[in-house]
Amino acid sequence: MRFSNTWRKITKNENMSVFLVLVVIIVAIILAEFFAVRNLDITKVAFIKPMNVSNVLLQVSVTGILALSMTFIMISGGIDLSIGQMMCFVGTGMAFMIKTVRIGGFPTALLALVVTVGFQLIMGLIISRTKLESFIVSLGFLSIYRGFTYLITNGREITTEGKFTFLGRTYFDLTENFRLAMPVVIFVALTVLVWFLLRYTKFGRRVYAVGGNENAAYLAGINVKNFRLLLYGINGVFIAIATMIQLSRLGTGNPLMGEGKEIEVIAAVVVGGTILAGGKGNVWGTFIGVLLLGIISNGLNILGVNPHWQYVMRGVLIVFAVSLTYVSSMRASSIDKQSKEVKQIATSEALEE
Amino acid sequence: MPEKLILEMKNIHKAFPGVEVFKNFKFDLKEGEIHCIVGENGAGKSTLIKMFSGAHTPDKGEIYLDGELVKIANPRTAMAMGIQTIYQEHTLFPYLSVVENLFAGNEMVNGIILNRNEMIQKTNEVLEYLHSQIDPLDIVGQLGSGEQKTVEIARGLVQDSRVIILDEPTSSFSQTEIDHLLTVIKKLAANGISIIYISHHLEEVFKIAERVTVIRDGISISTYGSQEITEQKLINDMVGRDVSLFYKRPAVPIGKVLFEVKDLSGNGVEHASFSVHAGELVGIAGMVGSGRTELAEILFGAKPAESGEIHIGQKKVDIRSPFSAISNRMCYITEDRQDTGLFLQHTLDKNIPIATYSKTSTPMALPSEDIKLSEKYIKTLKIKTPSVLQQAMFLSGGNQQKVVLAKWFATNADIFIFDEPTRGIDVGSKEEIYKIIVELLQNQKAVVMISSDMPELIAMSDKVMVMRGGRMVAEIKKDEISEENILKHSIGGSI
Repeated sequence: MRFSNTWRKITKNENMSVFLVLVVIIVAIILAEFFAVRNLDITKVAFIKPMNVSNVLLQVSVTGILALSMTFIMISGGIDLSIGQMMCFVGTGMAFMIKTVRIGGFPTALLALVVTVGFQLIMGLIISRTKLESFIVSLGFLSIYRGFTYLITNGREITTEGKFTFLGRTYFDLTENFRLAMPVVIFVALTVLVWFLLRYTKFGRRVYAVGGNENAAYLAGINVKNFRLLLYGINGVFIAIATMIQLSRLGTGNPLMGEGKEIEVIAAVVVGGTILAGGKGNVWGTFIGVLLLGIISNGLNILGVNPHWQYVMRGVLIVFAVSLTYVSSMRASSIDKQSKEVKQIATSEALEE
Repeated sequence: MPEKLILEMKNIHKAFPGVEVFKNFKFDLKEGEIHCIVGENGAGKSTLIKMFSGAHTPDKGEIYLDGELVKIANPRTAMAMGIQTIYQEHTLFPYLSVVENLFAGNEMVNGIILNRNEMIQKTNEVLEYLHSQIDPLDIVGQLGSGEQKTVEIARGLVQDSRVIILDEPTSSFSQTEIDHLLTVIKKLAANGISIIYISHHLEEVFKIAERVTVIRDGISISTYGSQEITEQKLINDMVGRDVSLFYKRPAVPIGKVLFEVKDLSGNGVEHASFSVHAGELVGIAGMVGSGRTELAEILFGAKPAESGEIHIGQKKVDIRSPFSAISNRMCYITEDRQDTGLFLQHTLDKNIPIATYSKTSTPMALPSEDIKLSEKYIKTLKIKTPSVLQQAMFLSGGNQQKVVLAKWFATNADIFIFDEPTRGIDVGSKEEIYKIIVELLQNQKAVVMISSDMPELIAMSDKVMVMRGGRMVAEIKKDEISEENILKHSIGGSI
């Protein structure tokens, strides 16, 4: 009895379908590698080696951290396309401060935080105070940051000269082959934090309310404008953390260090079940989405797929994952028809007005 | 006037799921005649227009055009027959010019090239005929609402309309705009175009009508020629429901003044003053567009007030946002529950506690507490739902409305503002909502109820304030509340 209850709870979980996709893809990659690449020798399957697993986790953590705050923003009905270029701008800016201005790692990090939060607040102010779409405003900021990046770097890399390694290159060796990198620890910790905020605080409930029905949220006493502003401020904090990790890992401020990140992040969030219209989504879905995308890249690499084809296959898999989520959500609302009838009656009565 | 009938309706029946709107309806329109239609909110005026314009088709009955039986299946056939409908809200393309609007879907062409000059010339002719100063190349969205109405009429003329139907054309018009429009309408009629004119404003009706038909509950009650029209006759015909069918609410002792509004202006409302005692229900009556919802919005801080004071208990309060309204123990149940009340895709335990968050200072919102709170209100308000984890969109209209009520009851408010609390819900749920409201009164809450539903206003109110053109034009005491009295003030011939 208890078992069947738990089972129902598991199958009804909103992240079930994306989790299944994850499992299917993991199995598919293992099988493909086992049969096609390793000549049926299970001990040689690189994909499931502990070292590879810890590498995948490390590779996804920067995208993952950005995806966490993007989840906030997208549940509230907004979007931010500027995050990738902001990372380029702030990351190269930090490298510049460390190398040329020589103000040291900690002050540089603090300055980076002020800059990301500051710019995000400016953008948030514009988005929340006007009726402009966050899509187009953040697209504008994307271009601004691109420009700043080139003004700082002139298109060249700026090395940090071996400084600023703590965030990206600290490892915890759990076993001989499996080590947990600092970025992974930060990513998981932040995921738990965001989960807690979304589930157990008024702040979290308001994120959903603002995205679900802005008018009703306003009338329920939520200062929608300031709330949106706050969300972009928080986004700035997460971008700062992600940028520092990226810079620390690379050891150099590369003008392309965040290139295309926004697409990766938005794809992960949407694959994780957050809808673009807002009001729906959750952080574990995002977590799985991030893993899924990372695993697909890693798996295709191990299988030795031509990198150009990897783009194609990744795209196909993303569309597949999103379609599956869509289909399962359709099935979940099987009472849809009934509600439509109710609505029809309500509207036809309203027509008499 | 030639006495030729151009349009005629006979034995029209029309029902919507659950309600019969039109029974045995008849109506006729002569060539070159201005025929006005009056009736209360919800009498069926809009549905009638929609049957002429092809937006609705009658379930039974005949429509004759020039004595021939016709079927108006959709708006396109109506237009082809020369019936042009000008709806209350604008139906123009705001980013296009006047010419483009006039000929949209009906452009003059040379082969495949638009014949722009000819269209502009034709537009000029029509505008001149209407004595209008509008330039054919003006962008419609930049014109005033009076001018936009003129453009809509011009569109009808360009398309050789024989019948023009105007639904409440003058809402949001200034007096000069109204006068201009009425002159234009008279001119059209003199040239043989037939006009159906629907208005809440009896003074306009008196000025232009050749005949007036009063409709009530989908029945044509009477038709008068221009000589016979009097305000008294029209109002008598518009009212007349069977009082014994009204909900009977128990009396509740009325306490001290709890909520007082002094000379409040802003958001289209001018100098509104009224007070509500504990245990008292004050009804706000008025036609659609008279400023009732606008009043509620400034009371609740959703729109800014320009001047005036609000007192709660003995204290003057400053309400600048819904948040401060909630902190002052107010709540506002809006007229459109789907648009401004509910989070449709969210479950009930996410819908019901949301407003309580504005009252407590803890940052936490524990799911278990939210579920407990929601279940409590699902039980007390008898919300029919399979579980607290049901999404709001899957509930019926009546139950959705109860979810909105639960959301506000959970805040422990003292002052309740209802805007059309029972619109679009079935009779059974209506009564349940009335019972819930009476319970509030018994608990010595103050209730303000905006309603277009006359029986509801009359049965529930201890006092009715009537609004008109953004002002409170009358205060009707308990024993003087009647449909007739309310109507007289809300549409009467003189202010």
